[in-house]
Amino acid sequence: MVQILDVMKKALEGKPMSEVDWQRKLFAPTIRRLVKEHGIKFDPDNPIHNDDSLADDVFEAGFELLLETGVFCTDTSRIISYTEQEIKKALRNAPDKLRVGEGRDRKEFVPRKIEDKTPPWCLLGAAGAACSSDKSFLTLVEGYAEIPETNAITTPAITVAGGMRIRPASPLELYGTIRNAVLAREACNRAGRQGIPIMNSLATAESGISLSAALNPKYGMRSSDGYMIGCLDPMRVDFDRLNKVVLALSLGAPIGMDFAPLLGGYSSGPEGTAVSDVAHHLMGILTYQTSYSIPFPLHLQYISNSSREMLWVISAAGQAISKNTHLLSLSLNYTSAGPCTTMCLSETSASVISAVASGLSIESVGVASNKEEDRTTPVEPRVSAEIAHAVAGMKRTNANDLVKELLAKYESKLSSPPLGKTLYECWDPENRKPSREFQGVIRGFKKEIGDLGLTVGLERLL
Amino acid sequence: MTNEQMITTIKEAVLDYNLDAAVDATKTAIEKDMPPMDIIENALVPSIREIGDKFGRMEAYLPELVLAADIMTACTAMLIPLLPKEGRESKASVIVAAVQGDIHDIGKNIVVSMLIASGFNVIDMGVNVKTSVLVEKAIESKAKIICASALMSSTMGSQKDLIDFLTALGERDTHVVLIGGGPTSKEWADNIGADNWGPDAVSAVRLVEEHSGVRGD
Repeated sequence: MVQILDVMKKALEGKPMSEVDWQRKLFAPTIRRLVKEHGIKFDPDNPIHNDDSLADDVFEAGFELLLETGVFCTDTSRIISYTEQEIKKALRNAPDKLRVGEGRDRKEFVPRKIEDKTPPWCLLGAAGAACSSDKSFLTLVEGYAEIPETNAITTPAITVAGGMRIRPASPLELYGTIRNAVLAREACNRAGRQGIPIMNSLATAESGISLSAALNPKYGMRSSDGYMIGCLDPMRVDFDRLNKVVLALSLGAPIGMDFAPLLGGYSSGPEGTAVSDVAHHLMGILTYQTSYSIPFPLHLQYISNSSREMLWVISAAGQAISKNTHLLSLSLNYTSAGPCTTMCLSETSASVISAVASGLSIESVGVASNKEEDRTTPVEPRVSAEIAHAVAGMKRTNANDLVKELLAKYESKLSSPPLGKTLYECWDPENRKPSREFQGVIRGFKKEIGDLGLTVGLERLL
Repeated sequence: MTNEQMITTIKEAVLDYNLDAAVDATKTAIEKDMPPMDIIENALVPSIREIGDKFGRMEAYLPELVLAADIMTACTAMLIPLLPKEGRESKASVIVAAVQGDIHDIGKNIVVSMLIASGFNVIDMGVNVKTSVLVEKAIESKAKIICASALMSSTMGSQKDLIDFLTALGERDTHVVLIGGGPTSKEWADNIGADNWGPDAVSAVRLVEEHSGVRGD
């Protein structure tokens, strides 16, 4: 079985190649050829497809992509290659369940299959969105912990420490990361969910040294949390990321790799993006020693994954993984629109439906492309979770009809989406409820989604 | 073969992303004494522009942009020495970099490819470029424009550092500083004193074109 020292050996002794050549002359043409060879075709009429053989084709192409291109180590400029046997063995040995959290919040995260009735694991929160103050961090995380469906928290990332904007791998980032740990635990305590796991530990830690600093036990991080490490798209790694792998392994903690194959980037179109998505899942269990995967394929122009093509990518890669492996995979969704807009709620619903019907669990949600400071609220993940639970077990054909209805409501607005409102413009931290205006938006959405045949309660919000 | 036929052949080769065919067709046009500026303006530029438009509509992707940039570089390398001296200058020198601390390269690579394809002399400094090194290069190369990208909120500060360094060295007025990247905005650009902000690669090229005539090398 490939272990982290084997990965290092491969990184030090693999085939040397320039990064530019690996991306341009190996990765991009290989993915294009594999898409062609396997006859993979995006079908705009069926954003959630219903074709088991397509799921197998996408899986095989993803497997072959990793086998042929390997993973590029940017620090050594060498290719980390894996044999067919190593990949197959890693797939067999990958965790098929994960117990995270403590006390009554300790739950079992299990893999799902296509059209599975098992409720998806709901990793809810801000997905590392930029957050400028302790107050807004606490407000958000407390709100996420209060969502009944929350199995685990995905926190925001802190952008300011000591009144200064955080700089990468600086003392400010270390302090911000420590604060990230302490405040996340405090917010969960306030909500009475002391044991809930934080599964994007730690969003503020861009660098390994920051993660290391925050792991001092007095800051409250636990081996029952999940440690998330980002992958450089496409399929690249550096020593700083491998340092984080070693840190999490030394804790005996589960590792999740988040990765964002870009539609329009080196993976080319929707077909290549789905294939790349699958290959990233496989590279994660080997290179990052992952227990769970967090795919968030993104559209290069919209920086979200709610468009028709992206729903197809989520569905195609999701079905490939859930049909052919027992990997634990959480589909992370990004919306284009911001809080207090119906479009944002429709977008997050569509992405979540595509993931859940295709056999994935969810991490939700990056709001307004996850790039604006303090532009997210506890409402969006709450809606995602209720929708996710409501569609568990739904047939793909019905899910496909549903997302087409939703697409009709927002598709034309993706290129200039409404950014909505910031946290305190539409969320009352004292009453822990959305503003009156936002409640009106939620009521309207509840009616719209109800007219499409889905019932969501959204109690406590209204 | 008429000039029109030669132009069509070059355009077809470019739109087919066929580097060898584009180079061969350009060589043929040169051998047939077709004016080099005609080849650039009537064959290369329109076809490269078409590829850029396709990228804007997501009908072409980053690998195609990269190939288009390679073709433009190879063909103009043959044509520029043949131009009269006054026509040999490329549009402007542009430095492109992901700022200190930022290792995200895909957006930057798209901007680089589109700028090369549009005929600019591009100095791609890569990712995680130390601010002092970026500034030294800008001064040394007399680049008119600096495009600095930051994809993380924690690296936006390095864009401000860039402005601060240029100002401290008395070089602020000799360089146009354009910024971009996910968490950045026009407001942030105004806040730190950048000349402009682009939300995507297409607008980055438009801004470079707009600003390249503003201040001299």
